[in-house]
Amino acid sequence: MSTRRPVSRVPTPVPAENGANGGRNSVVLGPKDRLVGQLYIEGDLQVSGTVDGTLEATGDIEIAGGGKVSGAVTAYNRLVVGSDASLIGGEVRVARLTVEDGATFTGRVTMGKHKAEVASEPEPVAAAIPEPVAQPEPVTPQDWGLSTPKRKKK
Amino acid sequence: MDVQEAVAEGAASVENGEVKRDGKKQFSMGPGDILEGKLIYDGSVHADGRVEGEVRVTGNIDVASGASVKALLEGANVSLKGAVEGAVTARDKLTLGRNSKLSGDIQVRRLQIDDGATLNGHVRMGDFEHQASGQ
Repeated sequence: MSTRRPVSRVPTPVPAENGANGGRNSVVLGPKDRLVGQLYIEGDLQVSGTVDGTLEATGDIEIAGGGKVSGAVTAYNRLVVGSDASLIGGEVRVARLTVEDGATFTGRVTMGKHKAEVASEPEPVAAAIPEPVAQPEPVTPQDWGLSTPKRKKK
Repeated sequence: MDVQEAVAEGAASVENGEVKRDGKKQFSMGPGDILEGKLIYDGSVHADGRVEGEVRVTGNIDVASGASVKALLEGANVSLKGAVEGAVTARDKLTLGRNSKLSGDIQVRRLQIDDGATLNGHVRMGDFEHQASGQ
């Protein structure tokens, strides 16, 4: 087998399987990119830019390379906050979490098999009082204790 | 005479695991040990077995992988490998190991969470302006 890889054959950064053929979608916000508002991604999200708002991804979210996020973050799978990245002041709902030493990380963390999916689903109930923002979130330590799923015991 | 006495004292303590090599005190628990109540300790604590209550130390706290801790923990460096229920304050760094489980609010200067760790709680880090206004 040849191990040579010609420079001209470097794979394109755009993922070939962009959602359509069942592969994983992947979105990258580069160091000069900035997002204010809400973002929902069916797939993975990589942030090295600045985000002021709400992020939600069905796969992994990685904040690295000087990325700064302030706002709520929901990753149905994994969230990684790199050593030079920061995540400030939001509701963080993830299944798996890695925070590297040096990272800035504040917020309320809820872990477990994503009931985040259920919680953040916009229910199209006509009679319901529309209160999209400012939900009080009365989460008590007892709640965390109870909501911690009894996962596979080793 | 003084020297001799000091050495003898030191040697005895080392055997009990109370004094570390660098001369700092360590309170070391085994897997079958139980601590209930409030411990304020000038040194480091190695927590194993069962701990309930409050542990505040000037040194470091490490919680062993088999330990079950329902307590408020405060130390310089806090390293968790087991299960902890309660608030944790690390004046320097908090490390959540691969199989650690923490339910409780944490207040830290530096934070490291390894993949596989479980955390449920509110994290405060560094300067507290953001959280104070954000709530």
